[in-house]
Amino acid sequence: MSKNDGSGRQVSATSVDDTTATILHIDMDAFFASVELLEHPELRGTPVIVGGTAGRGVVTSATYEARRFGVRSAMPMSQALRLCPKATVLPSHYERYSHFSRRVMDIFRDMTPLVEPLSIDEAFLDVAGARRLFGSPATIAETIRARVLSDTGLTCSVGAASAKFVAKMASTRAKPDGLLVVPAEATLDFLHPLPVGALWGVGRTTQEALERRGLRLIGDLAATPPEVLSKVLGDAAGAKLHALAWGIDARRVSTHRPEKSMGHENTFGADVTDPERVRRELLGQADRVAVRLRKAGYTARTVSLKLRYADFTTITRSRTLGEPTDLARRIYEEVRDIYDGVRRPSDRIRLVGVRAEHLVDASGNQLSLWDPDEDWREAERAVDAASMRFGRGVVKPASLMSRPKPVGTDEVDTGPRR
Amino acid sequence: MKFSANRDVFSEAVSFAVKLLPQRTTLPILSGVLIEATESGLTLSSFDYEVSARTEIDADVEEQGRVLVSGRLLADIASRLPNAPVQFSTDAARISVSCGAAKFTLLSMPVEEYPSLPEISAESGLLPADSFATAVSQVAVAASRDDVTPVITGVQLEIGDTSLGLVATDRYRVAVREIDWDRGDNASGETSTALVPARTLQEIGKTFGHSGTISVAITATDERELIAFSANRKTVTSLLIKGNFPPVKRLFPETVDNYAVINTADLIEATRRVSLVLEREAALRFTFTIDGLTLEAIGSEQAQASENIDALLTGNDTVVSLKPQFLLDGLGAVHSEFVRLSFTKTDNPNKPGPVLITSQSSKDQAGADNYRYLLQPNLLLR
Repeated sequence: MSKNDGSGRQVSATSVDDTTATILHIDMDAFFASVELLEHPELRGTPVIVGGTAGRGVVTSATYEARRFGVRSAMPMSQALRLCPKATVLPSHYERYSHFSRRVMDIFRDMTPLVEPLSIDEAFLDVAGARRLFGSPATIAETIRARVLSDTGLTCSVGAASAKFVAKMASTRAKPDGLLVVPAEATLDFLHPLPVGALWGVGRTTQEALERRGLRLIGDLAATPPEVLSKVLGDAAGAKLHALAWGIDARRVSTHRPEKSMGHENTFGADVTDPERVRRELLGQADRVAVRLRKAGYTARTVSLKLRYADFTTITRSRTLGEPTDLARRIYEEVRDIYDGVRRPSDRIRLVGVRAEHLVDASGNQLSLWDPDEDWREAERAVDAASMRFGRGVVKPASLMSRPKPVGTDEVDTGPRR
Repeated sequence: MKFSANRDVFSEAVSFAVKLLPQRTTLPILSGVLIEATESGLTLSSFDYEVSARTEIDADVEEQGRVLVSGRLLADIASRLPNAPVQFSTDAARISVSCGAAKFTLLSMPVEEYPSLPEISAESGLLPADSFATAVSQVAVAASRDDVTPVITGVQLEIGDTSLGLVATDRYRVAVREIDWDRGDNASGETSTALVPARTLQEIGKTFGHSGTISVAITATDERELIAFSANRKTVTSLLIKGNFPPVKRLFPETVDNYAVINTADLIEATRRVSLVLEREAALRFTFTIDGLTLEAIGSEQAQASENIDALLTGNDTVVSLKPQFLLDGLGAVHSEFVRLSFTKTDNPNKPGPVLITSQSSKDQAGADNYRYLLQPNLLLR
């Protein structure tokens, strides 16, 4: 979910020449909230927030009516309700979202096999080869939008451009329920007046670094020599941003993009001071991450720990392993060590997260002559096999046994990140 | 301080002293070379708290003294001087180096802040330089270059009374070699171990390879142990890596009855050729049958390649998947016309048995040296 609340919406006139805008970026509008509205049609047109309903829950999605009050994703629910007290809060239903995600992705794939899903609710499409069958990119985009609406009742926004990042920026501008076509020759006119923060890959820190030097618009970046940008941002980022500012993005739509990280995080129902409680949570998350790694056939070269304290300061610490792993035991030991290294007795922990990064395809791994984790590997494989037959959770570490899920725990699967 | 020295001798000494300096150092002062002029001549040394190098050369010393100067810069200058005696003198913080018609003025670094080089205790034994240098080059290829696990970035020296063992591994392969050595009066009947950073040991091997014998000393200072190698008025010391080296020697099979003998150069060339089409990190498939060896590069959509070469197989037909660079490292280290690849048995379906590479002086005669290189094959895809 973006910060976009629909203000400043920009959509294409029907007459624009779209033959060069063959890359589409399709983004579902307020996806989780819109799916929930299918079950609650009486709430249409009212502010609705989806997220953890207990005291410490966070917002995962909100309708545009709620966003106009300043509600944003990842915001604590208590804050969201202060901003928008009239909002209806609905709990999340992930299985519903993945069901609808599959349905809309299937609609995209009816148009072209070149579909690159970016997350559960957005994808890139390359429609260059679909033009003879289905018409111009704008026609294809409108066909998709109409089919998504008639098949699922959901709306989406589409950006069409000749480069991926321009298409993504265009769909953001078109939200909600719009289409914006940026033909190749109009790319620079589209980009240059936009603020640098609108560029894909420019986060808050980069944006501040650029603005401190008076670089506010993408046009300013384009007018700055790449060497100067490199001094501010480092060689790679400087050259890349300069290229993007000139609309240059060689990345193609690729149907197979390896996931770069997988993680879990959990906000405790109440701040935790007991380190044993934190370690148990780490063990549980390490286990989930490892199961997902093995299922997807990846091993991780780096594991990271995220801690958010009661005052919302957040730290992330990562550690690179000697050899990539997909074992819960190994991941747990590493994040526990990191945690023990940063732990102070007065800590009050609000959230912990475990993430596996630098994923590599496990089948291509060079095997090692000896494996210190061999016994654990056998054990975890056996658990995988048992889970396959009897369902998840039948076998788990003893310290996680017979502990009913604490009331008020709001768990977020932070999903594959790319 | 003021002295003059032979240009070749001086240049060679400077180059030796800076060779082991780290490329980047956190403390600028450690990038310096310490030059000390005394009655007996000149001493040049460098030290970065891990590794030290020290050499003595003859010089006409007019005025004694100590000075610290940027090592890389002095080495660059020394290597380009014209063929004439080197005149070296200091005036406060200025150093002047002149040689023939060339003159350089350098700024000295604060010599008072330079750490003192480690003390070395009495000699522990004598090594034959050439066989030591060969053994180091054969074994160090298998050492890990990944600082995440420091213990395996070293070469483990296993020091007995009459033999010195060298072992290195990066988890994917293990290389071992034993050479004769003389512990002399220090003979104790026991084997001790020393874990030396592989990079340093490789430099030591190159530097001392033609020095006849190398004197070795192991010293314990405070908490850390260090090893010193000396020959020809040159000494290199290195801190030993702390920690326990993994017990990798037990990975070697006692006997193997399934093996192939191949011409080493043929196998190296074929491996290089066929792996041209491989993607990075991908493995080659080696199929051994009674008809010979087939190398195949598969699994890449862009291109495939295969090649057949002669191989004398004993035992069963065998297929293994090996990373080409790992195989080439072993083949490059056997130093023999033929090579034996032995296939160890395993009961683990998830892990093929390791391949043992040893030298072979002819098609049916095993090599005389005791170099062994054990390599873990990958799972066969498809």
